Amino acid sequence: MATYKSVETRYLEDRRAFFRGLRNLDRRSFLKVSAAAMGAAAGLAAPHSFTPVSVARGAESPPGAAPQPAFRFAYISDSHLYERDVNDRFVRGLLRAVDDVNNLDPQPDFVFYGGDLAQLGQAKELELGAQILKNLKAPLRIMVGEHDWYLDMGQKWRELFGPPTYSFDHKGVHFVVLNSVVERDFWTARGMSPMERMRTVAGLDNGLQSPFTVGAAQRKWLQDDLARLPDDARIIVFSHSPLYKLYKPWNFWTDDADEVQAILKRFQRVVVIHGHTHQLLTNRIGNIHFHGVLSTAWPWPYAPEGMPEITIQMSRPDPFNPHDGCGDGEIHVHPDGLVDKVYSLWNRNPVTVSRAYMLSAGKESVPPLPNRPSY
Amino acid sequence: MSLCTVSFKARRGRTLSAGLIAGCLLGPLAAAAAPPEIPRGQHGEATAEYQLEELQKLMPQVDLAESPAGFDPVVWAAFIPEDNPLTPERVELGRKLFFDARLSDDGSVSCATCHDATRGFTDQIPVSEGIGGQFGKRNAPTVLNTALLQTLFWDGRSPTLDHQARLPILNPIEMGMPNEEAAIKAIRGIPEYEEGFKKAFGREMNYEDLGKAIGAFERTLVFVDSPFRRFLGGDPGAISPEAQAGWELFNGKARCMTCHPMNPSNPLGTDNRFHNVGVSARHQDFEGLAQQALKAIQEDASEQKLDELAIGTDMSELGRFMVTGNRADIGSFRTPLILNIGITGPYMHDGSLATLWDVIDHYNKGGEDNPFLDGGIEPLALSEEEIDQLVAFLFTLTDVRFADQNQRLFEAQRAAANEQRLFRDDAAAQRRTLPFEQRVMGAQGKPE
Amino acid sequence: MRNAPLRCPASAAAGTICVLLGALAGCAQNAAPPGATGPNASERPPAITPVAATAEPSAAAPAAAGGETVAIGACDGGAAVEVPSSLTGQPLADSLMDQWQRDHPEANWVAEQQERHALIPPADNSDLLKGDQGKDHAYGNYTERDILTWARETEKFVAEGSRIFHSADELGSTVAVSCDMCHPHAANTHPETYPKYQTQLGRVALLRDMIDWCIENPVRGEHLDPNGAKMRALEAYIQSQRKGVALNYGKH
Repeated sequence: MATYKSVETRYLEDRRAFFRGLRNLDRRSFLKVSAAAMGAAAGLAAPHSFTPVSVARGAESPPGAAPQPAFRFAYISDSHLYERDVNDRFVRGLLRAVDDVNNLDPQPDFVFYGGDLAQLGQAKELELGAQILKNLKAPLRIMVGEHDWYLDMGQKWRELFGPPTYSFDHKGVHFVVLNSVVERDFWTARGMSPMERMRTVAGLDNGLQSPFTVGAAQRKWLQDDLARLPDDARIIVFSHSPLYKLYKPWNFWTDDADEVQAILKRFQRVVVIHGHTHQLLTNRIGNIHFHGVLSTAWPWPYAPEGMPEITIQMSRPDPFNPHDGCGDGEIHVHPDGLVDKVYSLWNRNPVTVSRAYMLSAGKESVPPLPNRPSY
Repeated sequence: MSLCTVSFKARRGRTLSAGLIAGCLLGPLAAAAAPPEIPRGQHGEATAEYQLEELQKLMPQVDLAESPAGFDPVVWAAFIPEDNPLTPERVELGRKLFFDARLSDDGSVSCATCHDATRGFTDQIPVSEGIGGQFGKRNAPTVLNTALLQTLFWDGRSPTLDHQARLPILNPIEMGMPNEEAAIKAIRGIPEYEEGFKKAFGREMNYEDLGKAIGAFERTLVFVDSPFRRFLGGDPGAISPEAQAGWELFNGKARCMTCHPMNPSNPLGTDNRFHNVGVSARHQDFEGLAQQALKAIQEDASEQKLDELAIGTDMSELGRFMVTGNRADIGSFRTPLILNIGITGPYMHDGSLATLWDVIDHYNKGGEDNPFLDGGIEPLALSEEEIDQLVAFLFTLTDVRFADQNQRLFEAQRAAANEQRLFRDDAAAQRRTLPFEQRVMGAQGKPE
Repeated sequence: MRNAPLRCPASAAAGTICVLLGALAGCAQNAAPPGATGPNASERPPAITPVAATAEPSAAAPAAAGGETVAIGACDGGAAVEVPSSLTGQPLADSLMDQWQRDHPEANWVAEQQERHALIPPADNSDLLKGDQGKDHAYGNYTERDILTWARETEKFVAEGSRIFHSADELGSTVAVSCDMCHPHAANTHPETYPKYQTQLGRVALLRDMIDWCIENPVRGEHLDPNGAKMRALEAYIQSQRKGVALNYGKH
C-alpha cells in the first residue's frame, strides 16, 4: 500500500537528512573571519596587511570553482512609505536605496521592487513611491505587498503598476510574479471600514487577520503558466510572502505553501525571492531555494521558532541607526538559474548567500556568523 | 606665523572656499586672542622651553602610584600596557623626547610642535605643518587624556600610544626621519638620553623603547577637571543654565551621547568606534578612490606605507577603510574624545569645521550625503537657541586650568560664527529637504 | 474607532453602571444626581459624571406624548443618544446600553487586545488554595474569587500596555511609528537583561530608560514620565511577553 506523505512531511524529512549531514561538518571549512574584520574588532592587533575586498559586492565564489553569473538584477523592497509630512525617515530610506542602485557600475539589467511600497495603502503613499522609483536608471519590475493592497483591495496599485500577477522572460530565465498575500475575508463580519482593515493587516502581530495565501485561482494560473516549460527550465518566482511556513503569528507564512511547492516540484531547481520578512533569511526545501530580501524602512527580529537551519542571521541591529539591518541588494543569476543573493546592508559589509552555499548545504562559501544573534 | 595653506579638492565649489575660509578664520583669530608675549618656533608652536615651563605650572607633580582622579582605577589599570608600566623614569624620559626637535630630519619639529602645551596639546590649525613647511591632510588630535583611547590616529591604525608615537617621526611630511636607526642616531651619545634609557629600560636605547617612553609621558596628561565634571559631582552652579540645557540636548534631541558617551569608566566622550558622518564626502569621490586604494595597498602593505598614504595622499579621505578594507568603513573616522573640546579646534579629521557652531550645524543638517553615510546621522531640527545651548555645554568640558584660553577661544569662535555659518542648512535641518533627495530627484524634483 | 481613551472604567459592566446611574438619577424626579453635590461628593471618583448632570431632569421624566425622543449624553463623552421619551427604568437602561454597545464595539477592549495580540496570561495562582494553613490565616485565607480578581486586574494592566504599545498616537509619535513595528509581540525587547550598560544611552539603564529612549528616537515622540501610567503599562506588557525567561542582567 502506498503511503502518502504530504509535501510538508517530505520536506521535514529532507531537512532532517541533510542537517544530519551538516553535523559531520569539518569546522575548518567554515570561512574564517577576515583578518580585516578581526583587526577592526579587536583594535589592539597591529595593522595587518590589507585584505582586498570587492567594494560593491560581498564574497564571491572561489575563482574558477563556479560558473560566472549570467546576469544580475538589483532589489529594493519594503519601504512602507508614509507621506513625507507624516514620516520623513522612510522616505529617506527609499531615496538612499535608489541612490545605491543608481550608483552600481555596471548597472543591473533591471531593478525589482519587492512589495510594501506604501505603509497604509493610501494613494498618496503609492504615488510618492512611484515618483521616487521613476528616478531609477535601470528598468523597474514591481510586486505587490499586503501594505499596498488592503486599503482599496489593489485598485490604486493596478492603476499605477498594472496587474499584480504576471510573468516575463529575461535572458532565458522565466520570472513569475505572484500576489501571495491573499487573505480570507476577516473584515466583513466585523463591520470594519477599509482603513480598519488596512490597519489590521498592517500589524505584523495582529491576530485578527488571516494567513497569507496564493489562492486557488493564482495556483491554477501558475500551473498553466509553467505548463509549457521543461523540467530543467530556469525559474525565479517573486512572492511577497515566503511561500513556505515559517512563523504563523507574524504571517511569515503562506498557508497553501504545500500546494504551491507541489506545482514547482517537478523542476530541477527553482528560486523564490520574497519580501515581507525584512531580514537575512535563507531556506531550501528540496529543489526550491528561498531568499528573503532587506527592507529600506526597518528590520524585523527573527522568529522565536521555525527558523530554517540554513539561515545565517544578520547581527541584531542597533536602534540608534535607523538604517542598521536595512538596505537593498543584488541577485546574480547563474547560467543554471541558481543565484547568489547579495545583501547590501547599510553601514555593514555586504553579505552574500551564494549558489555554492546552497548547493553544498551550508558547507562552502559560508557567510560570516553574527556576533549579536537574536535571542 | 604661517597661515593655513590647505589643499582641498572639493566636490562642490562652495565648500572649497568654505574650507579655506573656515580653516584660516580661526588661526589668526586665536593668535590674535592669545597673549602676545609667547616666544614661538619656526612652525608657529611655542618654544620647547616655554612649553615645558607651562607644563610645569599646569602639572606640578604627577602621582603615578594610583589612577588619576576622575578615572576608574580598574579601567585605568587595564589601559596601562603590560610591557610598559608607568614609572617616573619612563615618564621623565618621555617628557624630554616629546619636546625634542632633534627627532626630526631638519631639527625643527618635535611632537610638541603639533601637540603644543600652550594650544591644548594640539596646534589649533586645520591640518598640521611638518618639516619643510609641508602640510598633511589630517588635523592633529589632542594628546590630553588619551590614555583611555582604544586606538590612535583618526583611522585607528595604532593600537596604543606607544605604537603611535613611533610613526610621525618617520613620516616624510611630519618629522621626516628616513628610518628608525636615524632617529636613534639623532639622540645617541647625549648623556641625559643615555642615562635616561638605562634608568627607564635597563638596556641600550632602541626605537621601540623610545615610543614607550613617549607613551608613558602622554598617559600622565590627565586634564578632566572641568566645570561640567564639578556640575556632575553635585555643584549645580558650576555650569550655566544654558549649558545645563545643552547637556539635556546632548542626551536627548541632539543624539550626541551614543557616539560620545561620558561615564565614570569612560569619561572621554568617545565610543572608540568609526563612523562616516559625511565630512570626507565634501572632498572626494569615494568609489573611485576606494578602487585606487585597493591597487596601491596591494603593492606595498607595510605599516609605514599606510601611514604615508594616510597623511600624504588623497586616499586619506577614505579613513578607516585604509586600515581594514571593509566597505562599512569607507569615509569613517574615529569618534574623537570631546574633553577640552573648546581649546582643541578646529574640528573633524581635516580641521574643516572652525567653530563648534559649525560642528552643530553639520550634524543638525544630517551631515553630508554619501553612499556610506552612517544612518545614525539624521537631521536634528535643532533651533537656534538649542544650538547655542549645546555649544555652551561643550565649552564647559574644558579643564579649569585652561579656563582663560577657553574663554578667549569661546569669544573668538562666537565672533566668527556670528559672521558666517558656512555649514548651516535650515531646510535640511528642519527636514524640508531630505538626505539623498537631491542626488536622486535632481535639483528640481522633490518627492511630494 | 475610538478617538480618546475612555474615562470610565472601561468594561461593558462599568459602562452599564455609568449609564444606569444617570438614567436612574434622571427618573428620580429632580433628586440630586449622585456625586454632583452632597456631603459625599468629594469621596466620589471624579471620572464618572452622572448623566443627569448634563441632561435636563424634566426631559427624562415620564412623558405622556408618544413619538417624542429625548437626547441623553453618555458619560464617556461620546455622542448623545436618542431614546423614546416614554421609556423609563429598566427598559430605558437596556435601550441605552444597546445603543452604547453598538457605538462601541471595542467595549470589551481587554478581550479584544487578547484576541489581536495573543497576550500571555499571568501566572496561575490556584496553588494558593491548597494547604491547610490558609484556612487559619487572617491574611492568607484566599478564595477563588480573590485569585480571579487579581488576575483580572493584572490582565487589564497588561492589556492597556499592549494597547499603547501598538498605537503610534498613544505613544505620542510624530512619525506614525509604534513599538510593534520593530517589536512584534514585544520581540527583541529583552526585559530580563536589565539593568545593563545601554550603549545608546551611554550609561547603565533600566528597562524604562530604554523604553523612553526608543520613544524619543525611533518613535520620535515626547519623553514619557518614568512613573506615569503609560510607562508603567508599557513596562508591564513588555515584561509579560517574556514570562518564564530567566533573569540575566547585564546581557547585551
